[in-house]
Amino acid sequence: MESAVGCEKECEMAKVLVHAREVISKMRHVGNFLVVSIIVVIFGFENSALAYLDPGTGSMVLQLLLGGIAGVVVILKLYWSRFVGLFRGHAREESEHSSSEDQK
Amino acid sequence: MGVVQPLPGSFRDPSGNVYRVEGRILRTVNECFAPDFDFVTSTGLFKNLAAEGLLLPFEVVSSEILKLSDPKPRYVLETPRLPFISFPYEWSFSALKAAALLHVRIHLQALEAGVTLSDASAYNMQFQGNQPVFIDHLSFRRYHSGEMWVGHRQFCEQFLNPLLLRALFGISHNAWYRGTQEGITTGEIRRLLKWRHYWKWNVVTHVVLQDLFQKTSTQGTKSFQDTSLATASFPLSSFKHMLKKLSTWLSQLTPLNTGESTWGDYDKTCSYSSMETTSKKQFILEFTQKVQPALVWDFGCNTGEYSETALEGGARYVVGFDFDQGALERSYHRAGERRLPFQALFMDAANPSPNQGWNGQERESLQARASADAVFALALVHHLAIARNIPLVQVVNWLIALAPQGVIEFVPKNDPMAQELLRLRQDIFPDYTVEHFIALLHEKAGIVKTETVSKSGRMLVWFKRR
Repeated sequence: MESAVGCEKECEMAKVLVHAREVISKMRHVGNFLVVSIIVVIFGFENSALAYLDPGTGSMVLQLLLGGIAGVVVILKLYWSRFVGLFRGHAREESEHSSSEDQK
Repeated sequence: MGVVQPLPGSFRDPSGNVYRVEGRILRTVNECFAPDFDFVTSTGLFKNLAAEGLLLPFEVVSSEILKLSDPKPRYVLETPRLPFISFPYEWSFSALKAAALLHVRIHLQALEAGVTLSDASAYNMQFQGNQPVFIDHLSFRRYHSGEMWVGHRQFCEQFLNPLLLRALFGISHNAWYRGTQEGITTGEIRRLLKWRHYWKWNVVTHVVLQDLFQKTSTQGTKSFQDTSLATASFPLSSFKHMLKKLSTWLSQLTPLNTGESTWGDYDKTCSYSSMETTSKKQFILEFTQKVQPALVWDFGCNTGEYSETALEGGARYVVGFDFDQGALERSYHRAGERRLPFQALFMDAANPSPNQGWNGQERESLQARASADAVFALALVHHLAIARNIPLVQVVNWLIALAPQGVIEFVPKNDPMAQELLRLRQDIFPDYTVEHFIALLHEKAGIVKTETVSKSGRMLVWFKRR
């Protein structure tokens, strides 16, 4: 009995670990996507011509931040449902998903 | 004609220079800038802005007029001559704010046309009455996708920070601005901030963060020195959003401590009888109807009441000077409400704007900039001669040198206002009498008319320089 219970517990533990790994890997994907998107938003445009006026590094970094925030907002809007689903519905969806994965 | 020299204030931008030739204002467009100029012209932006009265119109004239060879300009533009050139350190809070808002409005309109502004100098703005107008056609160039607002730092220093100085701390920008000439740095404004200012998002971004980033990037502790910053991009949508938010914020800025003005309510609170005011107005009316001056300088203009009378009499443009912020604000709004060709500037008559800037020539002094056709000094002489201890002879000679004709009001010692100035001090002015004043005037000018306008013996004198 004990061993059966222990096996069940181990199985549960393994499932949880698999779920956690899945979630982390998904989060990594989303995280990487965000980072890449921000970089694209910030640095991915055509080079600007240097002006005769020194814009000042403080002003430039501020604009990067303002531009970055706007970029993040757009990205968050686009991927909000997926992002929320990751936390909200993962227990049910992920268990179904992972059990089908386990059977493979 | 010898080689013409550009105006001393137009050396910063290699795209071109400004020249004044026989009273005409000419602006060159050099080869290096011609592609940008052609592009901006092709967008129709110049025409649209000029049609709205936001940009000074121009005509392309023959480049031979300047006989320049090195560099030979691609184009020479002629713009209408403005009645008076003023500088941001002479503007009132409302005037500076109007100029700031116009700058942002023009930039937004430019971006819609695929054009951006290469700088944000407040000296690129001038006033016609209380209406600001953009004067530098070479500030417009093609917008490159993703480029930053290169003029943001300059905009903060020359427009935003001087306005914040008054809006957050109740300190007018004029003296500070005149001292630095380039405005007020963001670091200086940040050092003045109190904790209560930190909850405002615009203050946090444009002042605190900008200064923080500036400092951390120049301390050498961060790797902001690499070239990635010079090639970094700023999305157009963010650029426009930043300008729109800034415009909303600017439009909401109002001076702090507006109740501190001494002269703003002068015409309401002082004991002038309506008879006295009517007599003074009648005198000014008669003077301007007869003289028809193109440019009048009204020293101690207060709320602009007599400046307006001068315009009614036929003066074409009046520049009023006062050092009271409340009076300047009321003058500014008077000009706006009645669409008067009248502009009120901050100026202490005992310390008028000097020649200054690079080589002492970049920004001209008041007298070097223009010459007035007539000068008014109404209820001013006693402030200079008694309150500021300037010898009466010097006050008289200074006024006569300003314009060939004018109206000076002499306020005798027994007048309540003169008594107020002497109340707590020794009377060291035995020569301050109407007889001595008239005798001094007679040395250099003829007297066309005099009139006593109050029971205390206030006298208006119409002088004509010999």
